[in-house]
Amino acid sequence: MEPFFYTRDLYKSFGGVLATNGVNLKIEEKGLLSIIGPNGAGKTTLINLVTGRIPVSSGEVIYEQRDITNRPPHELVKMGVCRTFQITSVFLNLSVFENVRIAKQAQHGGSLKLLSSRRSLKQVNEQAASILERLGLMDRARIPAKYLAYGDQRVLEVAIGMAGNPRVLFLDEPTAGMSPAETNRTAQLIRGLAEDLSIVLIEHDMDVVMSISDRITVMHYGSIIAEGTPKEIQANDVVREAYLGRDG
Amino acid sequence: MMMENPASVFASEWPERVESTPADHPVGTKRLLTGCVFLLILGVLAAFPFMVPNRFYIRLVNEMMIYGLLAMSLDVLLGYTGLLTFMHNAYLGLGAYLAGLFLIHVSPSSLWLAFLAGILCTSLIALPVGWVQVRTGGLAFALLTLAFGMMFFTIAWKWYAMTGGDDGLMGVPHPDITLFGWVLGSSGRPLEMYLFTLFIVSICFLLTWRIMHSPFGAVLEAIRENEERAAFIGINVRRYKLMGWMFACILASISGVLFILFRGYIGPTTMTAFSGAVILMMVLLGGMGSLWGPMIGAGIFIYLQDYISTKTEHWELFLGLVVILLVVFMPRGVAGLTEFLRRPERESR
Repeated sequence: MEPFFYTRDLYKSFGGVLATNGVNLKIEEKGLLSIIGPNGAGKTTLINLVTGRIPVSSGEVIYEQRDITNRPPHELVKMGVCRTFQITSVFLNLSVFENVRIAKQAQHGGSLKLLSSRRSLKQVNEQAASILERLGLMDRARIPAKYLAYGDQRVLEVAIGMAGNPRVLFLDEPTAGMSPAETNRTAQLIRGLAEDLSIVLIEHDMDVVMSISDRITVMHYGSIIAEGTPKEIQANDVVREAYLGRDG
Repeated sequence: MMMENPASVFASEWPERVESTPADHPVGTKRLLTGCVFLLILGVLAAFPFMVPNRFYIRLVNEMMIYGLLAMSLDVLLGYTGLLTFMHNAYLGLGAYLAGLFLIHVSPSSLWLAFLAGILCTSLIALPVGWVQVRTGGLAFALLTLAFGMMFFTIAWKWYAMTGGDDGLMGVPHPDITLFGWVLGSSGRPLEMYLFTLFIVSICFLLTWRIMHSPFGAVLEAIRENEERAAFIGINVRRYKLMGWMFACILASISGVLFILFRGYIGPTTMTAFSGAVILMMVLLGGMGSLWGPMIGAGIFIYLQDYISTKTEHWELFLGLVVILLVVFMPRGVAGLTEFLRRPERESR
């Protein structure tokens, strides 16, 4: 059977340097897939390619048997392919609530209602509120996003990603810069999300990766060098050498 | 890759919008208060020509309202969509020339048809221009507005047969002001033109206010805040930028039709880059992102221009100084002052 989401021989070169070198990534319909690898392994580039942020040099991206290579991001989001960013990318001057509400509105529709008020989109408001409730940001819903603590901005980043009703959600280092306690809480949250949809996670914290992932894909120099369950990856010699070995 | 939003050069931060959550509804009283203030200002403006029956001042305030409408339309782009345009006056000019040509060559007596002609023809020009414009962002967008603006200026300046060249479009007839067949007055008489301008500008303001606070306005704000992220929540950024652009150009063309009805004349100087910078200053002076701020800004600017030019013929020099001082000491304009006064109690973190 064809995988839910996969790439076929994906190449991307930046000025002759191959950032991804014939990647065949496979993503299942539910569960949590982590992509790990040393800095510069091409993890973020890979996500940028499959979510339409940068154009593909060659190869294909297939989602639900449809070729979605180089489709614009707004179309991919409508199809259920959503993402968050490594560098926090939220709407800073808008309230926390509005950040999620506008994402919900963009997905749900109603953006062309010129003469009604924003609160008239009842379903959008309720669903935005329930996402904030779930992620524990409801008590800060009214303050502008720029006044949130850094860790909370990272959570908001995930909240915006979720508002698109994704079927596959790419999370680019959601816990970067978080305190250990925040990291833990966010990891549990992400684990919970993976019960309902497909999560693809880039993460550097190995404890987090090993404890919450269903499967792990390891990248090195733009290629996938190993795939498997956390146990298999921990036992893999190639991975040890390329990546984990560094830490002893 | 992505360019820093050049509009952010002017203000380190946009007015914060603290939308309330569905859990609380303090809106009733706030909305009532806003409505009262609007009606009060409307009442004062309507009473003004009767309290100060001086043709000169009536015409001065009339001009303020027309430029206020233009400045507000620029705010739709700059303050709400985050797009910097240097020559929004081009679309006032287009509306004025086109409506003027309609009144001269087609029908000298139909006010509303002149409106329709001005708005429709300007839209037909603004649409392909906007199609090109929205394919860019940041500094490139701003430079394109200059390029297009200069083309329009050159056409107005050099096409003697059509526009009258540097003499301008002269002898534009003043049609009667009619509503549903009733003749209410003439656009050539200051008092009647004043009240008519107030009527049109108020409607445009209310409509724009409504639209900017609608779900559509929310999309424009998201684009202003973070164009890339907006695309990644499912917004077709180009499409919405084009809609914002068309809306702003249509508003500007309405100010242009009012301009030609009011003056009966338009010259190419109205379409220069200098005049474009003036509109931008009005917006910054009043405070962008508030709609009413730029209108106040236009009022202050035109008053200062008038006052200083009675004292010295080098009025641009002194006006420039005043604007520099205001921008340095009130970076968020007049609208920023009111926000300072009613600073929301902010949760500490």
